[in-house]
Amino acid sequence: MTQIKSASSTRNRSVRVASQPFVYGAVTLLCVLAAWFLATDVLHLVGSSFLPSPVTVIATLFGLTVQPFAGATLMGHLGLSLARWALGVGAGILLGVLLGIVLAWLPPVRAAVTPIFEVLRYIPPFAWVPIAVLWLGASMSAQALVVFIAAFPPCVINTQLGVSTVDPILTNAARTLGAPPMTILRRVVVPVAAPSIFTGARIAVSNGWMALVGAELIVGKEGLGFLIAQGQFNGDVAMIFVGIIVIGIVGTLIDFLIARAEVWTLPWKTDSK
Amino acid sequence: MTVAVRSTRRAAPRKPSTQSMWRRELARGKSVLIGVIAAVVLVIIWYLLTLPGGLIQPLFLPPPQGVATQFITMLSEPYLGSTLWGHAIASLGVVLEAWALGGIIGIPLGIAVAWWKRARWIVWPLFQLIRPVPPLAWIPLAIVWLGIGDVARVAVVFVAALVPWVMNSIEAVRSIDPLLVSAARTLGASEPQILMRVVVRTGLPTILAGARIALGNAWTTLVAAEMLAATAGLGFVALNASRVLDLDTLLVAMGTIGILGAALSILISSAAQWIAPWAED
Repeated sequence: MTQIKSASSTRNRSVRVASQPFVYGAVTLLCVLAAWFLATDVLHLVGSSFLPSPVTVIATLFGLTVQPFAGATLMGHLGLSLARWALGVGAGILLGVLLGIVLAWLPPVRAAVTPIFEVLRYIPPFAWVPIAVLWLGASMSAQALVVFIAAFPPCVINTQLGVSTVDPILTNAARTLGAPPMTILRRVVVPVAAPSIFTGARIAVSNGWMALVGAELIVGKEGLGFLIAQGQFNGDVAMIFVGIIVIGIVGTLIDFLIARAEVWTLPWKTDSK
Repeated sequence: MTVAVRSTRRAAPRKPSTQSMWRRELARGKSVLIGVIAAVVLVIIWYLLTLPGGLIQPLFLPPPQGVATQFITMLSEPYLGSTLWGHAIASLGVVLEAWALGGIIGIPLGIAVAWWKRARWIVWPLFQLIRPVPPLAWIPLAIVWLGIGDVARVAVVFVAALVPWVMNSIEAVRSIDPLLVSAARTLGASEPQILMRVVVRTGLPTILAGARIALGNAWTTLVAAEMLAATAGLGFVALNASRVLDLDTLLVAMGTIGILGAALSILISSAAQWIAPWAED
């Protein structure tokens, strides 16, 4: 809400009551929920195989937390998804930042790698799913590879951008004062480039979550994406809804956590949103 | 993708400088030469590794000449119902339709949300509810509700394209200098006039940046949607080729997806340059 305050303040309208937006928001959401409930449970306008009632969705959600589906409870599927995601994103950030620094630091390497990188970048992560499965099997590592492919490019690009915008005066000053290249890298370049690196990591984290869901949907034997795919095959729309809700909540949480981490690790970055 | 507005930054131009070790730039000709040599070396390594009896089995990675031959064959001979051209046109059709639909709905929605408080209060919570869910997660629901025809794919790709359209339209209105709006109002412009003559024109570069992100998102999402529910298209070809272990065709499909993605990106960037030459990007 606060993000778009400036647009309204440009209009010099009368003073707003702070709670008004929340009232509108809450009423809107309640209306949607009520309409959903009315259309399904009360008036039976739509069949449950088309749109299950909110009560059914909640019941399915709780049912899945205790009763295993395809070998794991909801928590089990969530854990597997998160493990694949963490593996892919972790590797993507680590290698992406390293490559980004190398590309910004060594012009010959940049000249050699950039064209190939730019060509491969245009192949979306999901296009790698079939070949990842052939290479690694429909297990954890194939999904993690797809997540990695989604997370890697934003880290490389943003790290390279951050490092290349370091003011030459800073590095020259450090060099004049006798710092060896590794010290310059660690003490001057990385702190200055850190906000840009963090932006890359944020994009990597949410891209990675999206890629994971897609990879699990297309091939997989467990995980949240697999849950919604199974819901589709079995005509169990309530399970699709449960999957979508959990995926949305976890995605929001991940994004929120990395935003907090950014503020916490980089207090000197003033424009962090 | 959900932080799409930020990713517009990455195209910021580097200022050339010869001063520092961090900024040393090679001469342009030398840089191109190194790039070409690196690409050629990569293909030669690929060729050597996949020679018969080489280190890598063709079932793991087919030789480059096999992929090239398959590419030329697929241009004229139908594979799974149509030629490579046919599949490419099927994919592009869905993407452009969904992308345009996203713009037609997304731009007015974004401007309305940024301009009128009440619209914002009503739409924003709903939008925030939909936004964190990856567009792909809607695919099973779209299939159940709309079948496996074009409509389901257009719907899913539309959701993927809508978010950047809306976010950048909002950003376009937000970033306008309040002075311009006040000046227009002082000079007697009506609300619709301010919207059309001040807001839309100043915000055009931001909206065009949104158009570019939307197109990229749409292309990415379409590939996944085609793997899940389609009877034609490049993603459909890729998944089916992998099921029968036809890696030549799989790599042709992947390559075509990449080339078309790059072409779309270049096309929209030049279109944006042409429509709004005053944009910084």
